[in-house]
Amino acid sequence: MEIKNITYSYHDKKNVLENVNAGIELGKITTIIGPNGSGKSTLLGIMAKHYTPRKGNVILDGKGLSAYKSKELAKKIAIVNQQNSAPNDLTVEKLVSYGRLPYKTIFSSDKDADKEAIEWVLSETNIQHKRHETIDQLSGGERQRVWIAMSLAQQTPFLFLDEPTTYLDIYYQYEVLDLINRLNKEYEMTIVMVLHDINQAIRYSDKIIVMKNGTVFVHGDPDTIITVDLMKEVYGIDMMIKNEKDTGLYTIPIGI
Amino acid sequence: MKKTIISFIAIIILFFGVVYFSVFTGSIDVSMSELIHGLVSGTNADVQVIKDLRFPRIIIATFAGASLSVAGVLLQAVLRNPLAEPGIIGVSAGAGFMGMLMVAIFPTLFFFTPLFAFIGGAIAFALVYSFSWKSGLNPLRMILVGVAVNAIFTSLSQTFNYRGSYTSSLVTEVTTSTLAMKKWSEVEIIVTYGTLGLLVAFLVFSWCNYLVLEDKTAKSLGFNVNLARFIVSAIAVLLTSIATATAGMFIFVGLIIPHIGRLLVGTDHKKLIPFSAILGAVLILLSDTLGRLIIAPNEIPASIIMALIGGPFLIFLLRKSDRIYGN
Repeated sequence: MEIKNITYSYHDKKNVLENVNAGIELGKITTIIGPNGSGKSTLLGIMAKHYTPRKGNVILDGKGLSAYKSKELAKKIAIVNQQNSAPNDLTVEKLVSYGRLPYKTIFSSDKDADKEAIEWVLSETNIQHKRHETIDQLSGGERQRVWIAMSLAQQTPFLFLDEPTTYLDIYYQYEVLDLINRLNKEYEMTIVMVLHDINQAIRYSDKIIVMKNGTVFVHGDPDTIITVDLMKEVYGIDMMIKNEKDTGLYTIPIGI
Repeated sequence: MKKTIISFIAIIILFFGVVYFSVFTGSIDVSMSELIHGLVSGTNADVQVIKDLRFPRIIIATFAGASLSVAGVLLQAVLRNPLAEPGIIGVSAGAGFMGMLMVAIFPTLFFFTPLFAFIGGAIAFALVYSFSWKSGLNPLRMILVGVAVNAIFTSLSQTFNYRGSYTSSLVTEVTTSTLAMKKWSEVEIIVTYGTLGLLVAFLVFSWCNYLVLEDKTAKSLGFNVNLARFIVSAIAVLLTSIATATAGMFIFVGLIIPHIGRLLVGTDHKKLIPFSAILGAVLILLSDTLGRLIIAPNEIPASIIMALIGGPFLIFLLRKSDRIYGN
């Protein structure tokens, strides 16, 4: 997937994204980090065709996103959005089954394939035992897993996640990240996610894209790009960066 | 699930009960056998009166109630707003005004009132939609714009009413909800368009289910949100216009019924749409029947009785349940 010269603005104001270029490696986990307002979520939104760029294009399998029909694209890319809402009395199974929508046409649907896909995602996200419960009976972590399950039911090679760990306590955060990691390793899904926590980004990503003021500041391997200078320049804070044998690379904020 | 089935059975029984009640009560009294015999032979004068006066208003009340309730369900899904309702956001007022205006200017085109009403309703809806859209639908803004649009069209209609000219006798039919003196020709209109609208509304139930998700979520599923929104809105406006053009104004029914429906059968539109249709029919028909009985030979408009029954019932159900849509 190639992101080419993307420029984007909401309501003709200042550009939120300015000439963004990046290549997403297939089968890898790429994480976008950066300060608030740097354009992380907007970039992810453009990659999922939620927004149409003013300039530039995103090329997926040799074809621009704008040339994809919405259902065709929904079989390639699934995205877990930051904000989700569903009626309280919807059951887990029903909501997950919505993920099969791209495979339905007005006249037909492959019931067996749908059933198989739903069973697979329910077990993959470990929510089979909650299948008949309604959304309002779930905890925050379970709910996030249900939304991921719905996206997985689309059976796409690409999975995007916009801040999947926000609002979750630390246990659920790592549960979600481990799930994402497993999907990448076992099914070779190409993952692109936006994260706030730099240490989580380092630990779970093959590549990191650091954004600042609507542009890609650096893009590369976590071990080589995350430096004291970069953190100061991008986030404006002083950080200690350690690399130890049993922990790997990690950062500790010191002050401003 | 059990609650849903019981609710459906109860409402269907209730519907037939109210129809029976409405057919057999009033200033003219006939028995079941007299009625059937009279309808077949056409010789009983009392039965003829019932056939010409009671039957049309029963059918019209039924369809108006069903149409407006389903329009409420659809608008709440499209606008993702639990307060959206054809009356509150001005669609009924727009439809009523345009229908009345055209009849006043071109009295010979009376038969096309539903079409003009549809245009008026569509204009009102387009106004609300475009003014409340600011990079997404803002629920509060939408209701405020709706209230304003409603006020504008209502006062335009009232301005016409106060002219006191010969047109006003034609005109009042589209501005009040009285269901008296309905003719079979009007029954034809509402049955034709109403059946069509209700049928199509039911066919798009799955769209409504996807529309209540966030736009982004629905889009990432490959769902064409804009197209679905446009079509579902058009169905809602059609249902509202047809009801307003033939039965007059019923504010509120599109709000009360879907909420009661959600509390009883849940938010799945596959059940909610048919349930709301029957429940709405029951409410308006019951209101109309009571309205003509309470102070007979005078009548209280059905819309007034409807609010008197529906309002307290909604509060009662909300108190009993903690699940409020949109929470």
